[in-house]
Amino acid sequence: MRHEDYKELLALDALDLLEGDGDERRALDAHLAECDDCRAEASALRDSAASLAYAAPPTVAPAPELRARILASVKSQTRADARPLAPPTHGGAITTLTTTPPEVSNVSTSDEFARRREAREVRVSRRLLTFGTLAASLAVAALLVSLLLLWQRNERQQAEIARLSQAVNRTERDLARLSAERELLAAPAAQTATLAGTKMAERARARLTFDERTGRAMLMAADLPPAPAGKAYQLWFIAAGKPPMPGSVFQTDASGHAEMHDIVPPEGRRAAIYAVTLEPAGGVAAPTGEMYLKSSAS
Amino acid sequence: MAEAARQTSSDTELLHAVARGDESALAALYDRYNSILLGLLLRILHSRVEAEDVLQEVFLQIWQRAANFDEARGRGFTWMVTLARSRAIDRLRSLQSRQRADDTAMQNAPEAVSDASDDAYHAEQREIVRAALAEIPEEQRRALLLAYFEGLTQSEIAARLGQPLGTVKTRMRSGMTKLRDLLGEKMGRQAGANLNY
Repeated sequence: MRHEDYKELLALDALDLLEGDGDERRALDAHLAECDDCRAEASALRDSAASLAYAAPPTVAPAPELRARILASVKSQTRADARPLAPPTHGGAITTLTTTPPEVSNVSTSDEFARRREAREVRVSRRLLTFGTLAASLAVAALLVSLLLLWQRNERQQAEIARLSQAVNRTERDLARLSAERELLAAPAAQTATLAGTKMAERARARLTFDERTGRAMLMAADLPPAPAGKAYQLWFIAAGKPPMPGSVFQTDASGHAEMHDIVPPEGRRAAIYAVTLEPAGGVAAPTGEMYLKSSAS
Repeated sequence: MAEAARQTSSDTELLHAVARGDESALAALYDRYNSILLGLLLRILHSRVEAEDVLQEVFLQIWQRAANFDEARGRGFTWMVTLARSRAIDRLRSLQSRQRADDTAMQNAPEAVSDASDDAYHAEQREIVRAALAEIPEEQRRALLLAYFEGLTQSEIAARLGQPLGTVKTRMRSGMTKLRDLLGEKMGRQAGANLNY
């Protein structure tokens, strides 16, 4: 290997990319042992690599308890424990060139065991803490999931309540209509007029029932062709010698049926003729369109 | 040595004091470097719980191994950072082999905060490194950061970058040489005479 070839190994070494017992590691260590320039270069490159720690995003400081815990655990170690340890296993040249302190041989094995046990206990307690934190996180996550499920169920129930309450409203409306109709039909002063289709809709027919006393009226029509877009049917009360009085507008369903409630004005209750014309959807004050239904003069 | 005196001691002096069993020297090193080292550990481990756990291990090891530090071989900062990175990558590998399934503990992205938590010295160092990295060609920079923070092997880096191993090694060499030239004497020499870390 030429001297130049070691430059690449030095870069890889600084990035800790040489395997601990690989050929490259051994070759570099052998070279470093005899080359001052490369040793200086190795040191400079390791300094540069260590500076990359500053390329990590800044973070918030650790909790103050961590400092207290570290200082408490070193206090509990005796001086004899602190010194004699195996050199670091990383940074090859540091490892190989560092001389182990002479006190090493003085350390009793039991001290070493005690230190290891202590380190293990610290690790175990931290593990438990880690586990505790994880368990707490999981508990919070489970709580959030439950809340979400409850919320979703609540949403579903709200929707169901809204649907049921609409159905109840519909039923109430139907019931009110039916009872109004029944009341109308049962009224002593109930009047009925039959309307027949004109040439515009010869099969069409309708019946207008109204309470002469209150004016409450109901028109039921059949076989009336659905009104074109923008148009609607309108009821008229026509008294002799007077312009037709406008009633309400209505639409048929797809099968040509219609049911319309109205209040007949007092003058209209004695009308001679009831008629239905096709008018603009909003209704008009005086008839403009074709007549579709007409009662026979009474 | 009094706490106040600790503030102006160099890393080398502090590490020697730690080697003599001086707890206040360890406390001073902790105060000086805990946030930088935690940032590094968090960048490697992506889990604050694990990073804080390893940070504790690192300072216990600094306490136990300070006698092995030899300033003739390099800066005290380099010695501590190397130790921290090595512990973090060991932890990363054991986590990866232990539980690929339990990703939850690993998914906390490192929370980036403003540099305001740095003191002036660290802010300056951070800026020097940022500026130096910005001058290194993208493909070299990627290779360096992958090697430094991900704990990958040479061939894993080559696979990750989709480049032949030889190309990757060349990029490492060029990138490291450039980084050294750019950082030069700047790193660790900026804090003035009384704060010669």
